[in-house]
Amino acid sequence: MTTLARSRHPLRAIHWQAIGLVALLGLSLMPGGVAAHGPDPSLSGGPFGQNQVLRYRWRVGAEPTSAIKTAIRAGADAANATRASKAATFTYDAAGANLIGYGIGATCGVNGLACFTRTVPNGFTMWLREQGHVFDWGTMKWCQAYSVAPNGCYDAETIALDEFGHVEGLNHHVNFADDSDYGDANVQTYSRTKPATGWNAHVFGRCDIATLQLLYDVQTWTAKYSTCLNLSTTLAISASPTGILSGASTTLTATLKVASDASYNRLASNPVAGRTVTLQRRTPGTTAWVAVATMPAGSTSGTYMLTQRPTSDTDYRAVFGASSTEGINGSASPAVRVYVSTCGAAAAKPSIQVQCL
Amino acid sequence: MNRWSTRHGAPAILSVVLLAGACASAPPSATTSTLPTTTFAPPPSAAGPSVGVVPSAAPTESPSPASTEPPRASLVAEGGDLVIGQLGTFTWGDGGSDSPWLPGAPIKVGSGETLTVSIGGGVDVESWTAARVPGGTTNGAGAVAMGSGAAPITFAAPGPGAWSIHVTVQFAGVLGSASYYWLVTVG
Repeated sequence: MTTLARSRHPLRAIHWQAIGLVALLGLSLMPGGVAAHGPDPSLSGGPFGQNQVLRYRWRVGAEPTSAIKTAIRAGADAANATRASKAATFTYDAAGANLIGYGIGATCGVNGLACFTRTVPNGFTMWLREQGHVFDWGTMKWCQAYSVAPNGCYDAETIALDEFGHVEGLNHHVNFADDSDYGDANVQTYSRTKPATGWNAHVFGRCDIATLQLLYDVQTWTAKYSTCLNLSTTLAISASPTGILSGASTTLTATLKVASDASYNRLASNPVAGRTVTLQRRTPGTTAWVAVATMPAGSTSGTYMLTQRPTSDTDYRAVFGASSTEGINGSASPAVRVYVSTCGAAAAKPSIQVQCL
Repeated sequence: MNRWSTRHGAPAILSVVLLAGACASAPPSATTSTLPTTTFAPPPSAAGPSVGVVPSAAPTESPSPASTEPPRASLVAEGGDLVIGQLGTFTWGDGGSDSPWLPGAPIKVGSGETLTVSIGGGVDVESWTAARVPGGTTNGAGAVAMGSGAAPITFAAPGPGAWSIHVTVQFAGVLGSASYYWLVTVG
């Protein structure tokens, strides 16, 4: 690993060594999510199974109104569509085991708009307050209850998505004091009304997704990591063979992974495929690296391969420059040296001598 | 699981009895192994309003995953009365509840006084943050930080005016988190 974590949270670590490498090499190794707070905290109880299907139905005697049902279904669909991970999915099923209720039977806290319980791995419950419920602080207004949603109403789809996020295991996002990052998460400490920013968020925010990825893993090795993450990567390189005759070829294979760090949970040591990994070379004894080419994908996920025909001893390394569109850091491999010789001069290099025979 | 239903619509004392009985027989949840196993006592909200002034000797309670809500939080200025905060959004045990930014429980304090928030039930605080908006503001946008850190929860009263103060507490031991609100009038 080329980075050194020094900050308070391993996932928000400032990678001083990597920064130094950037300055030295002029490479862009910085992650995209530096400015944000970290991923949502997670709830106790652990995650559901990867891609576990959680089937829900309406609680008998406490069925939502038609408009609220539509909003809850939309919230479930939004959770499924924007989870960007192997988080559990939600499907309406008239025989489902997980009950969603609406109305005066809601078992939420005294000031709660909506609430949930989760019992891994069995299931969950959810409640939404009824339209017109009188709290100490005001009267419940669901936007879906109006033909034209008035200011001050709560969007039931947004609130339902928040509850589905909790069911997945997300705790409330920790915002900046001024809440300028409210849009980074749907699962929020307090809900907003129309027309405040975020009142009708119908997708998980990037810091919701970050925790879903930590809890459940990404869907594929080519999938992007949330920019709310700040994961180190490791890049290794090997040459086969490491010694060649002049004119022969050697194949360089780079392997890119998420670093092995316990705090990375399911993401630790993931192969990282589909990225741009560049091969560089230099003459032994010199310091300047020269770009050779982008390495095409290898046969194994997270590997990148390129064949070279050096005419003299050459050091190679691979470099991954991170993109601002995801939350993994760049890295550079150690150097591997490829020895080049002729048959006459190869006697001192056993690996080449074999080829001369 | 109908976790909060017993405290709705029933007389306070009856609610206490029902809650204590129901929770004593409740099966362990999936999170039990990670949570304290101290004896359950009913949440204070079952025995009274969520907002109000209480004497300094708060009722005894114990944290438990079987309780339905987080413990109450009380704010006190130097030498003043304890005022129980409005409970907003929380996660607790295997569930949680979502609320808006609440107006807060009213309390009058002096400018610059040290405000201290205490958590009932012997629940330890892992971390906290406090922020304020002008009283009457909803949604919390543009809130100003007042403090954060580990226990104890103390911060200075803001300047003169009425402020809706929001304190979010992360409880130790993976018990959960909760937000409490006070409407602080600074004279």
